[in-house]
Amino acid sequence: MISGVQILGILFGFGLVYLAFLSFKRHEFTPTEWGFWTLLAAAVVLMSLFPQVLDPVVARLKFARALDLYVILGFMFLISALFYTYTISRRTQVRVEELVRKMAINEAMHKRRK
Amino acid sequence: MPSVAVIPARNESRTIGQIVKKVLNYVDEVIVVDDGSADNTSNEAEKAGAFIVKHAINLGKGAALKTGCDFATRRRATSIVVMDADGQHMPQDIPKFLNKLKEYDVVIGYRSYGQTMPVVFRIGNRIIELASLVLFGLHVRDTQCGFRAFRSSVYQKLRWKSPDYSVESEMIARISKKRLKYVQIPIETIYADKYKGTTILDGIKIVFNMVRWRVLRSI
Repeated sequence: MISGVQILGILFGFGLVYLAFLSFKRHEFTPTEWGFWTLLAAAVVLMSLFPQVLDPVVARLKFARALDLYVILGFMFLISALFYTYTISRRTQVRVEELVRKMAINEAMHKRRK
Repeated sequence: MPSVAVIPARNESRTIGQIVKKVLNYVDEVIVVDDGSADNTSNEAEKAGAFIVKHAINLGKGAALKTGCDFATRRRATSIVVMDADGQHMPQDIPKFLNKLKEYDVVIGYRSYGQTMPVVFRIGNRIIELASLVLFGLHVRDTQCGFRAFRSSVYQKLRWKSPDYSVESEMIARISKKRLKYVQIPIETIYADKYKGTTILDGIKIVFNMVRWRVLRSI
């Protein structure tokens, strides 16, 4: 008997496959990015349909149940994604600032020479 | 070109013209850095006699000040005075700053914590003052006062990374780290708009940044 959590997992997985496909069709994702997110979503769907697949891993890591493992993996993924986004954002902020300041000074120097 | 005033401005078309005219009485050139204004700040400042450096988008006070000071050093200024564009600082105080620069590297103005300073600013300033003393060993009154002057020769040692309101605190941290000679002088201030300038959130960010600079030794 399939549980509510499993249904949620399957729906989430299919939703992710659809969104990744849309991004690919809009040329926002490269084929590699589309492939990565589709595989990840497929893994979510499979693990929701067949949660016993991870039983050996769950037992080895001494988790009480598979859901605990998913939650921990989910948090780790979120923190990594957050760190990555923060790094990119900071790098872009510094580059934008340098560019805007350089353009302002160059324009002012050019105006001065006139 | 001996002395230059650098004034970062954003949407200050109402006051910038009068300020530039008054400041020109005391310095050789005024550089106004228009930090992404949506109004006529640049035109008003230019009409009054300032030289304009314009950011295509708003970057923040620290970034605007850095642009202005970089430009001033390219123009071979020997003394740089930095001040606000909202009429809070009195141009007639400029000679006091320039006079002190004969024997000190940096001159920092301080406002009296009298009845004219909004309560929130007073409390916030005290907290940041305490943080400066504990973290950098410098007893600086009114650490957030933007009316300052320094010699061009020490600008590279002072040159900050903060793009926002943390610039004032970062300057103090750098004065401590580079062991620059500094002095403070009292200035008159007018608070036209109680809600302009640094907010409580900015204050929290400033203190957080100060702790970060100290712990990570990143300045």
